[in-house]
Amino acid sequence: MLSFVRRYQVLVSSFLCVLLSLYLVAPAAKGGSRADPIGPILIALIRPLQTGVRAVVSGTKDVYQGYLALIGLSAENDRLRSRIVELEAERNRLLEAEATNKRLRELMDFRSELPPGSITASVIGNSASTWFNSVLLDKGTSHGVNKGMGVVSLMGVVGQVVSATSKNAKVLLITDPHSGVDVLTQQSRARGIVAGSLETGPIMKYVKRSEDLQEGERLVTSGLDGVFPKGLLVGTISKVQKKSFGLFQHVEVNLAVDPSRIEEILVVRGQPAQAQN
Amino acid sequence: MRLSLLFIAAGFLVVLLQTTVLHLLPLGRFVPDLALVLCVYLGLNHPTVGAVLGSFILGYSVDVFSAGGVLGLNAFAFSLVFLAVYVSSRAIWVHSPLSSAPVVFFASWIKVAALQGVWTLFLAMEGLGAGALKYTLVDAILAAVLAPGIFSLLKRGQSYLEEVRMPVL
Repeated sequence: MLSFVRRYQVLVSSFLCVLLSLYLVAPAAKGGSRADPIGPILIALIRPLQTGVRAVVSGTKDVYQGYLALIGLSAENDRLRSRIVELEAERNRLLEAEATNKRLRELMDFRSELPPGSITASVIGNSASTWFNSVLLDKGTSHGVNKGMGVVSLMGVVGQVVSATSKNAKVLLITDPHSGVDVLTQQSRARGIVAGSLETGPIMKYVKRSEDLQEGERLVTSGLDGVFPKGLLVGTISKVQKKSFGLFQHVEVNLAVDPSRIEEILVVRGQPAQAQN
Repeated sequence: MRLSLLFIAAGFLVVLLQTTVLHLLPLGRFVPDLALVLCVYLGLNHPTVGAVLGSFILGYSVDVFSAGGVLGLNAFAFSLVFLAVYVSSRAIWVHSPLSSAPVVFFASWIKVAALQGVWTLFLAMEGLGAGALKYTLVDAILAAVLAPGIFSLLKRGQSYLEEVRMPVL
């Protein structure tokens, strides 16, 4: 037996890893998850590097933009050029600081309109895979960010916190095919679920055929999922298609937020569905 | 030991790049799957228990940083990719980094098949539909294009470490 294991150790260990993975996945079938002791350690190890890389990228971008601004100047202006590079970098930095300031001020104004307990956070990392749309936030349970909380920006709904460690939280973006936000259309008051889709972009699911929807109609959160407060903008209807069969109609959505461009967000606590009703 | 450290460092770097810099490339929602390339490299060139664990941990890391709460999904896919590459490595002879591209291309399809399998069968979620084919194709092409460069870098790192270990007499 032992000699068999030794001889086929790679195959045996591979099979064991496959089985271990399925053991980890298994609770998700019932909507749960296994305790993850290693994940927070991995995040803690990568987090400072992510923050560092982000700072370097931002700095490089400033210098590159400064460089672009100087293309075309003659070589004899080297001294002036370097001075301009410095000033340009400084200007970019200040413009960036001003823009950040403005965004944060607007975010604070927006925050006052939300239920109490909203938390401001920044995006520090993105998903490691094409197949999942998620971002990593710089706030976690120690700041009051917990699993199940909604994430919004000034423009509208961004996603939902799916897991949180003490210092970080992972957000499943609204563009992910496995996400779902309970919404209402603003005029016809039809209900549905907005989720991502790999085929057409975001769609509004489970809208009855009998509902009369119009392109351009705004979608807002219904507040019934207990995740998002009622009335937050999600997007607008871009296409409505009723096929000759099926219970539901096909509705495509233009999201109000481009999740790939968000930097600062608010984590909100929804109100329990019963309270809304 | 040094070789293990090289692959641990490579794994860290790959996850770091995939979660930061690679998102700045003008590729839309696509992120080049460097972790998959590393997994294929291990499967082809390092048939050891350590490499099996390395592939599993790579997948696990991708889960930690992206899988929307489903832990083990990518760990399963990466373990399966390693197994498939290891089994087929007896028949495939990847003599130059360039020939790694088709292997990585097919490995990408195996990975997506594994993900799709767990989604639809195990988690009873909706499948990803026909749009998934386009995404798989682009994902596979991206990984395949980058594979020769990464294979070449890893091979160089490996031979450097081997030279340092064996002093010239």
